[in-house]
Amino acid sequence: MKAFDVFYQQFITKGGYKTVLLGLLTTLQIAIIGLLIGIVLGTLIAVVKVIPKYKKLPKALNAICNVYVGFFRGTPMVVQLLIGYFVLMPALGISLDAVVVATIVFGLNSGAYVSEIMRAGIQSVDVGQLEAGRALGLPFSTAMLKIVIPQSIKNILPTLGNEFIVLVKDTSIVSFIAVTDLTKAFRQIGDANYEYIVPYLFLALVYLVIVMLITYLIKLMERRLKRSERKQ
Amino acid sequence: MKESSNIIEVKGLTKSFGETEVLKGIDLDISEGEKIAIIGPSGCGKSTFLRCLNCMEDPTSGSIYFDGVDIADVRVDINVHREHIGMVFQQFNLFNNKNVLQNIMLAPVHLQTKRLRRAKIHNFFCKLFRKKEKMIPIETTAERIEENARARAMELLNRIGLADKADVYPSTLSGGQKQRIAIARALAMNPKVMLFDEPTSALDPEMVGEVLDLIREVANDGMTMVIVTHEMGFAREVADRILFMSDGVIAEQGTPEQVFDHPQNPRTQQFLKCVL
Ligand SMILES: Nc1ncnc2c1ncn2[C@@H]1O[C@H](COP(=O)(O)OP(=O)(O)OP(=O)(O)O)[C@@H](O)[C@H]1O
Ligand SMILES: [Mg+2]
Repeated sequence: MKAFDVFYQQFITKGGYKTVLLGLLTTLQIAIIGLLIGIVLGTLIAVVKVIPKYKKLPKALNAICNVYVGFFRGTPMVVQLLIGYFVLMPALGISLDAVVVATIVFGLNSGAYVSEIMRAGIQSVDVGQLEAGRALGLPFSTAMLKIVIPQSIKNILPTLGNEFIVLVKDTSIVSFIAVTDLTKAFRQIGDANYEYIVPYLFLALVYLVIVMLITYLIKLMERRLKRSERKQ
Repeated sequence: MKESSNIIEVKGLTKSFGETEVLKGIDLDISEGEKIAIIGPSGCGKSTFLRCLNCMEDPTSGSIYFDGVDIADVRVDINVHREHIGMVFQQFNLFNNKNVLQNIMLAPVHLQTKRLRRAKIHNFFCKLFRKKEKMIPIETTAERIEENARARAMELLNRIGLADKADVYPSTLSGGQKQRIAIARALAMNPKVMLFDEPTSALDPEMVGEVLDLIREVANDGMTMVIVTHEMGFAREVADRILFMSDGVIAEQGTPEQVFDHPQNPRTQQFLKCVL
């Protein structure tokens, strides 16, 4: 029980829990804001992917989106984080807080994945829905926004929840650019006494609880969406 | 503008999907109030032709004059013209995320409100640049548009006997009810032409009657209609003219008597032998 006592000492008596709570906040902040950025970017990319491509502009946009998605899906997020912080920031001569950089990188990265989620969701809606709207004289954008996208949400939300879980877990890499997230906070507690067993097991438990909580919320949401479809 | 009572004039229409030419040169004049039924074997291009009439499929070549404007021209704002061309689909295509009333009201409300907003913005700039004479007179409000659309939708629902379903979502309706509501949704735009693509093909037999009754009613009101159908009895009864399509062309056309009772083209004879 000695290891546990050491952890208790460090966590409660010496105020280690404060660092942990701050770390938790940072973790959630990066994941949530990252996801929001991802949703906006992903939706834009998905729209570019589904609009008809007779004209030059959609074609060009499509090419740009392909490069973007290819890069962010084709390289590890740690590498993207390192490039953002140690290459791009000095190169552009700006200095941002590491948390901000991490959030932006997470947003950009998740945008690439969310775009695929959105595209699949949009394509899961019967094309007859879009055609019926267009046949009434609605422009493409309106038919998409009012008819197709609302229906695709039902398919998108659960997958988006999974993306959120992935983001939350992936935040454990942000200590590479010296951000104190949940993982780093627990490592610091371990560092204090070179006693890592309990902190790391506890860390795993915290992630597990967060993920279970999100999973539960997704399930709840799914049931809600199913019900709204049946309602009279 | 041309001097004629033809509401639609199709000239040399062709349509290809990739390498395959589905429509191989179609000419057709449709006069106002005329009811045309298109029959023909599966895959001969009936749906494709109908979908070209409101440019749901972009024609590969040829022109389609609707009210004197060539809507096959890509520079034309097709949305404006589609408002006047109602379309009814085989699969109904009611908006699943909207209730019945919203299904009917959505497009009229959206389009009219957009026009109102545009006019207001236009007038704002007219005032700004002191060009009051160019201002568009505005006689309505967003509330009035909504109110009128609702009244019109309820009137249509009453007419088809489904007023009690106004708040219901499409998933709870029978096929016949869905199709009648889809027709009401098209009528709510006050179209000049209605296009029907096999409106009863996806229905259980016991529901075909109610939908045909409604289409017959719309026909009797004087609507110009183009109906793709496999219901030969109905085509004979309602249509002024029957088009027999085969292999991407109009192989034969004439009054129901001519086409059904005295078909000239061997392919028409062959087809009718199979379906009648
Ligand atoms: N989007 C498309 N892409 C490629 N080929 C198509 C497309 N739409 C239709 N076709 C082809 O064009 C031909 C004509 O199709 P169309 O749907 O117009 O026939 P139809 O006369 O309506 O037949 P049915 O009675 O079965 O509805 C068919 O061979 C079909 O495979
Ligand atoms: Mg067809």
